Amino acid sequence: MNGPLLSVSDLKVTYHTAGGPVPAVRGVSFDLDKGDSLGLAGESGCGKSTLAGAILRLLPAGTDIEGRVTLDGKDVLSLNPGGLRAVRWTSGAIVFQGALHALNPVQSVGDQIAEPMLVHRTARSAKEARFRTEELLGRVGLPGWRADSFPHQLSGGQRQRVLIAMALACDPLLLIADEPTTALDLMVQAQVLALLEELKAERDLTLMFITHDLSVLTYACRRLAVMYAGRVVEYGPAWEVFESAAHPYTRGLAAAFPTIGDMSSRMRPSGLGGDPPSPDALPGGCPFHPRCPLAHDACLPVEPELRSAGEERSAACVLI
Amino acid sequence: MRSDMTPLVEVEDLHVHFGNARAVDGASLRVMPGEVLALVGESGSGKTTLVRAIQGLQKLTSGKIRLDGRPQAIFQDPAVQMVFQDPTGALNPRQTIYEIVAEGLRIRRDRGDEVEQVKLALSRAGLRPPERFLKLYPHEISGGQRQRVVIAGAMVMEPRLLLADEPVASLDASIRGEILALMRKLVEETGLSILVVTHDLGLAWNIADRIAVMYLGRIVETGVTEEILDDPRHPYTRALLSVVPETREMEQQILRGEIPDLSHMPPGCRFHPRCPLLQSGSLDAAVAARCSGEDPGPVPLAAVSAAACWPVLTG
Repeated sequence: MNGPLLSVSDLKVTYHTAGGPVPAVRGVSFDLDKGDSLGLAGESGCGKSTLAGAILRLLPAGTDIEGRVTLDGKDVLSLNPGGLRAVRWTSGAIVFQGALHALNPVQSVGDQIAEPMLVHRTARSAKEARFRTEELLGRVGLPGWRADSFPHQLSGGQRQRVLIAMALACDPLLLIADEPTTALDLMVQAQVLALLEELKAERDLTLMFITHDLSVLTYACRRLAVMYAGRVVEYGPAWEVFESAAHPYTRGLAAAFPTIGDMSSRMRPSGLGGDPPSPDALPGGCPFHPRCPLAHDACLPVEPELRSAGEERSAACVLI
Repeated sequence: MRSDMTPLVEVEDLHVHFGNARAVDGASLRVMPGEVLALVGESGSGKTTLVRAIQGLQKLTSGKIRLDGRPQAIFQDPAVQMVFQDPTGALNPRQTIYEIVAEGLRIRRDRGDEVEQVKLALSRAGLRPPERFLKLYPHEISGGQRQRVVIAGAMVMEPRLLLADEPVASLDASIRGEILALMRKLVEETGLSILVVTHDLGLAWNIADRIAVMYLGRIVETGVTEEILDDPRHPYTRALLSVVPETREMEQQILRGEIPDLSHMPPGCRFHPRCPLLQSGSLDAAVAARCSGEDPGPVPLAAVSAAACWPVLTG
């Protein structure tokens, strides 16, 4: 296949609520090559989960999606329901946050992993599906007999592994992980991150990783996109963005995770002031200006577009 | 830690067992006045049970808890206040911010001007101007602001100890720093002590004077924050530190599996089945035999800096 595996161009998503239209994603574009990994960072309400949902068209009916999403050569936004079903699971699969709520409490985890294989006919028989389920469980570090367990019999870390096994059931090309480690302990988080990294290398998976924890993304992904108020405000190689952010918002996010041993952050927690704006009441000009420590008059008239900020890097800030 | 002061909290050889499950199993620690102690460890290490015991909400199997040198009262002491992980669940959705904060003043039978005191508490918690918040309900403010209301509600009780269980884990990264800065400011302005339960070592680096590391119901290492995070001695602490995403230069030691079942404590050192140091095979045979056969015991109460690990104790 030529070109990127996933191409998103000028994607806009608007929810329609009782209070009127809410623009959650306001023009996002990026390409993701096969085998590459992209981390999507930002606060609650910045549109990152909406963006992930739009890529596989998992948003509530009646939501407006504009722009273009091409996944594995298919135009996702214009697919009919049959075509869409084929794309989900086999071209792209998603691992959600909150491992307890994403699983059916009254079905064994093995049946839940086998279900997409049978629905998408990637397994020819229930027996084959069962065999592959046990194989997948082994791959995510759980014994095969766990297939007969129910979600409540597993720990949080084990349930997260089940969700990863389930997402891999139809051997997808793209794996979207939406806050897969947020509710987990530090050690379990490290186990899950290491597992994703192994799977990525082994299956040549393309990974899109979503979390507000910039330090996790930096560890897990090659490239980073930072979202604010429905748009990407900074983009570039992960470590470079984390260590020398170009956008003041990214700098604030990065400072929230201190480097242990760095005396400048010892007893000096830092973060951004204020709260993210509500998508239905965005400030004019640069939407970050009310919270920006560097804001000045030039930030008020227009919303800045992404502009080059070094090799492979871009940021949407008038100071660049 | 100054030894001439009376510790504000002293937990001595505490045991809390639920049937066969030994959630807290010989834990001892001290929090000095004006000190921030971070209690770190994985889920299931007994951190939350220990905190509930200090709060007076947990029947003790054995051991002692002293507040200010006196045995802990059976009922909750207003000098001990709590800040939870999820501020939304901690606030009554039908009460205004004013009512939530004023409730504490009424419990304390404060005779001063209630409105002025509520406003003062809100502005000290960084909700300014306070007038703007008085009539709002919890759902009308952001998550970070809700946690400030929880802190304001706790502070009107004029506590001497704040127990904070993962106070920023459910908050956005950007707000995290602000809430931690507020906690540190309250310590410096009012001489408050904080026992903060977390699995986030970056948080400890940001606000804690000392760290106590808990594993399977006991404290296994304790010391001054800089010392523990620059040069951890217990292999469990080393492993925890190595998986913090920011400590990129350290070789990762991802422990396999999860914390063992609390009703089947491993023999010898409780950490030995997962211990990377023991598994590396670099230990002297006599020391390795002790690790798997003999319990090094918990860190003693009076220890300022200690690790309950045979290679450290015999090294």
